[in-house]
Amino acid sequence: MDLCVFGVDDGYAEAIIRGLRASFLTEAQYQQMKNCASIPELKSFLEETDYQNCLQADNPQIPTSILRQRLKKKLADEFEYIEAQSTGTLTKYLFHLRCRFMIDNVVNMIEGLKNKIDIEILLSNIDPLGWFPEIKNIKVLEGDDYSSLYRDVLIDTPIGVYFMKFLEESIENLHENRTLNDIQNLFREMKPEYIRTSLKKMWLEDFYLFCEQELMPTSQEVLLELLKFEADFKTIQVIYNSIGNRDLNTAAKIITTRKQLCPTIGNLYPDCEKMYLQAMTLDTLREAVKGCDNYRDLLKDAPDPLKREEFNVQTKTLDDIMYDDECRRYALAFDGQGSYGVFYSYLKLKEQEIRNIIWLAEMISRKLAKNHPGWKKIIIPFSHLGK
Amino acid sequence: MSFFRSKKMKYYSLVIPRESAWVVMNELARLDQLHFVDYDPQLPMINRPFANYVKRCDDSLFKLSCLELLLKEFNKNLNYCENVDSLLDYYQQVQQDRMKPGHTYFDELEQEIEQKKIQIQEQSANLQNLLDRVNIITEQQLVLENAKEILGQSMFQQQVPHNPNDYQQLKFGQLIGVIDKEEEVRFKRIIFRVTKGNAWVQIKDLNNEQIDNSIRKSFHLNQNTTSQPRCLFVIVFPGAEESSSLKIKLLKVCDSFNKQRIEYPNSMDQVQRKMMELAQQLQESKSLIEMTKQQLEQSLDKLVLQQQGCNCSYFEYMRLYILKEKYLYVNLNYLTMRGSIFTGYFWLPEGMEIIVEEKLRNAMINNRDHYPTGQIQQIKPQPYTPPTYFNLNEVTMPFQEIVNTYGIPRYQEVNPGLFTIITFPFLFGVMFADIAHGFMLFLCGIYLIFWKNYLLKQTDSMFNLMIPFRYLIVLMGFFAFYNGFIYNDYLSISLNLFGSCYSPEKDEWKRESKDCVYPFGVDPVWQASGSSLNFMNSYKMKLSVILGVIHMLFGILMKGVNTLYFKNYLDFFCEFIPQLLFMICTFGWMDFIIIVKWLNTYENNTDPSIIETMINQVLKPFDKSVNPVFPNQAEFQLRITQILTLIAVICIPWMLLPKPLILSSKNDKHKVSMSDSQYQPLVSDKQVSEQDEDSNQEFDNDLQNVANLKSFSEQTQEEHDSGEIWVHQMIETIEFVLGGISNTASYLRLWALSLAHGQLAEVFYDMCLAGKLDIGGILGGLLGGYFYIVFALLTFGVLMTMDVMECFLHALRLHWVEFQNKFYKADGYLFNGYSYKKILNDYLKQSNSK
Repeated sequence: MDLCVFGVDDGYAEAIIRGLRASFLTEAQYQQMKNCASIPELKSFLEETDYQNCLQADNPQIPTSILRQRLKKKLADEFEYIEAQSTGTLTKYLFHLRCRFMIDNVVNMIEGLKNKIDIEILLSNIDPLGWFPEIKNIKVLEGDDYSSLYRDVLIDTPIGVYFMKFLEESIENLHENRTLNDIQNLFREMKPEYIRTSLKKMWLEDFYLFCEQELMPTSQEVLLELLKFEADFKTIQVIYNSIGNRDLNTAAKIITTRKQLCPTIGNLYPDCEKMYLQAMTLDTLREAVKGCDNYRDLLKDAPDPLKREEFNVQTKTLDDIMYDDECRRYALAFDGQGSYGVFYSYLKLKEQEIRNIIWLAEMISRKLAKNHPGWKKIIIPFSHLGK
Repeated sequence: MSFFRSKKMKYYSLVIPRESAWVVMNELARLDQLHFVDYDPQLPMINRPFANYVKRCDDSLFKLSCLELLLKEFNKNLNYCENVDSLLDYYQQVQQDRMKPGHTYFDELEQEIEQKKIQIQEQSANLQNLLDRVNIITEQQLVLENAKEILGQSMFQQQVPHNPNDYQQLKFGQLIGVIDKEEEVRFKRIIFRVTKGNAWVQIKDLNNEQIDNSIRKSFHLNQNTTSQPRCLFVIVFPGAEESSSLKIKLLKVCDSFNKQRIEYPNSMDQVQRKMMELAQQLQESKSLIEMTKQQLEQSLDKLVLQQQGCNCSYFEYMRLYILKEKYLYVNLNYLTMRGSIFTGYFWLPEGMEIIVEEKLRNAMINNRDHYPTGQIQQIKPQPYTPPTYFNLNEVTMPFQEIVNTYGIPRYQEVNPGLFTIITFPFLFGVMFADIAHGFMLFLCGIYLIFWKNYLLKQTDSMFNLMIPFRYLIVLMGFFAFYNGFIYNDYLSISLNLFGSCYSPEKDEWKRESKDCVYPFGVDPVWQASGSSLNFMNSYKMKLSVILGVIHMLFGILMKGVNTLYFKNYLDFFCEFIPQLLFMICTFGWMDFIIIVKWLNTYENNTDPSIIETMINQVLKPFDKSVNPVFPNQAEFQLRITQILTLIAVICIPWMLLPKPLILSSKNDKHKVSMSDSQYQPLVSDKQVSEQDEDSNQEFDNDLQNVANLKSFSEQTQEEHDSGEIWVHQMIETIEFVLGGISNTASYLRLWALSLAHGQLAEVFYDMCLAGKLDIGGILGGLLGGYFYIVFALLTFGVLMTMDVMECFLHALRLHWVEFQNKFYKADGYLFNGYSYKKILNDYLKQSNSK
């Protein structure tokens, strides 16, 4: 039923996205990019593609960070255009998508301020997709006082809700007769990465709820499936990264941290929760997730986290494996009709494309030999569909 | 005869040594007659030998467009080039004067553009900086003035508690600064939250963008600035000490909005002094701005200036040169590089060979180093279908355009564009037939023709768009005028020009004499009779069918001409002849009896019905007709109709069967002979790859190879399985037979639209004018004037614009569908001459329309 009326409100926005499908780089173009010998050559190649206009004004010897910023800016512009063309639920939905980038930006700012990096540099490095006007006010942050940061600045922002929840949860987890000092200590020891993971977990859960409650059945069908996988991906990542982590020395601490960070949605939750919370080696983790989907196959090739020191550029990390599988799912979702999955997939796939370009740019600027395994480490969107 | 059939083309190969590639290409581009073929269309542009040059040209063009924006901002008007030919001559002159290899001039220009861009952008950035500075200074002035107002005198007297009885000897600190207007609310909120409400925040609009504009105006600068509206904020909070935590926090908040914050002086005197200082700074900056602006304008003026001997601005001179250079390299990229020579292919109209060779010789003489300049060699057989090339002029262009919009004529097939010149306006005229309306359209066309040059200068004129079609409009107007006379229709009134043959007598119309005939067109007396509409409908209907059948028969004849020209005798005997016979025996016969009926007089209600006759001819082939068309010759008519029907029926299987039968039997023979020769191309491929010591020989072989391969693939193309041939022929036959009927019916639109036109005109006339002109007196005059205006507007709006459009579209359809489907293949591709003139003119047209 909803397929009949989908076009009424969202047809135009969807049509634009479908048109933008043509802007994805093809396999042949990646091949040509790999053949570029220098950054100016890569840039002039990109000017032949859809990225032409965003690079034209730049110096040929463009640094990778600025290149990334330009590519992201283009994506953000496109997204903003679509957002402006959308109405009703779609607008809300697109805004939800942007929250993920806002979280990243806020955490990056906090991290930067903690490391005493100049605010101007930080502001120039924020992801344009997650820009919001209050972001520059994060400067107000004093020491580790996240609660006053929330009270003064973030309370009005879209991600204020998540931040509040995060603060509440972290304070609740302290023992009963907590003092102000305890709270300060807690914040001092808290790593920005931890904040990021918890905020994103909350965002994901919230977004999942939103999709479940407000979207039409076709969109739900596609999106919930994607989000479930994403949640599982997060869970596996958290478990995987906490295996052999030196900061978490006791078993109890590992489990509480994991419990805090693992999303409470997805295929793994709650059935496998007990198993994965307890998993202390890669093998037990594999065992824990074997019941779901193709996770076991995915984890088969993952390197052992206990040998983390031995990893190098060539290692196909867990992230790479997961991105690969994600890309396949997004490409499939993109080709589905009449669902909001298109917007989500587009964003994700474009992000992957930007990651690819940046990766290749790094490879080129380091002048690595052409038989280096790193050249193969790109995941080309839509390449899975042909097979 | 180059308009009846497209020009004969020949395929040549071109070999140029690397050193003289530029010179040769430069010379050939002036010729406008070469159509380069991409050597390897699969090769991506970026891998071609001159991709780098194309890129550089693009970069330079980009820089120039940056400069153009600046030129626009400073209201510098460019002199656009008007005569491309003289400009190209000028380029050649410049090249000759330089005494250096021609292609290096691009490098010079590129550097010059780069320098100019850097210099001018620097100047404009300086100007912008100065303007920003002025902005900041004025902003500070404003802030001080406003703050003085808001805080008042008492602020300075705080040191002494103004009320000794005050129980709290509180001191207040203050922060003053500027924020963006859109952040006003957020700012207030954050301050409120940070201070927990313990601060007094006052915000006031500065209206700085107006002031900014007025400053820009005073320097005659463009006024659409990008400056944001700003606000002044004043925060007063308890605790004046420098180190109070509240103040530090507030400072941080204010700074995070990263706009100006201003230290407010401690006393009134200091305020005054500061104001003075600012005023002085403002003065200095303003004089600096004046200077910078003058410099900038000087540099920009240099760009706008016309160079001696050149008919456009220097800026345009550079831009057109770069465009030309880019075009050259794009075309040079169609060639392929082998060692130090370039080879490529091009099409050339027959007979141009000598001129090309002469150009090549010229190039060698003009070349400073006298490099050999390469040679051309004709290649036979031609591996591809040649492009379609017509020499068009301003009269024929719109008509060819009408045809091309449907499809480009196949190489050398009969070009419908030629006939369209007359048939199109004529069929339009049949539909739009009205003496007055046609004449107005005609006048409009005449105006366009004679005032063309004047109109071209009026860039915003509506007529400008119609200029290319002026000859079409004139002809359309003329034929509408002519057909108006035939129908005797002047704004729905018949004109009695030659004296009607009837005169009123009592209640009857009396014919003057038995032989009296109205000399031209329809006798006006018909309008006075009651059956005017009936008569006109029947007349127009028959006329349109007659015109239609003639038009279609002509189309079929053109098919015959085509088959003969291409020596396709199978089509001639198995398609053209049966089609022609079918058409003549059915609708040709119908036309004939229509005319016979007009010529005869029938007595006491024995006049035959044409439709009935036609239907009975098929349904009752053995019955004599009751009311024969040929009076008293029913027997004779029956014989003829029987024969004609028989021929028409025989024609159908004739169209359907022989052609596929012959083709498939040919195919079978072909297959047997093909099986031996199939391996040949492969062998020759191998031979080629073995010998690569002599590149020239290899090249020749390669050409042969291409030709072989192509002819081979053509053979395979023809070798469809016979099923396909049958289906195709069946479709063709059905389409023709059914199309014969439906197309004839389609020509009835000639009647329908002319009826609609006539009726509309009549309605407007009756509603607005008829009767109203008789009212006498002043009132009558006023009413008449008013109704006349209504009438004129309606006539113009509905008939002269909408109806012209409609008739145009229907005439278009009659040509595209009913006429052209009889013979027109329309699967050619246009000749795309390698010509500087074309590319520059295209560019100029574009920039003019902007």
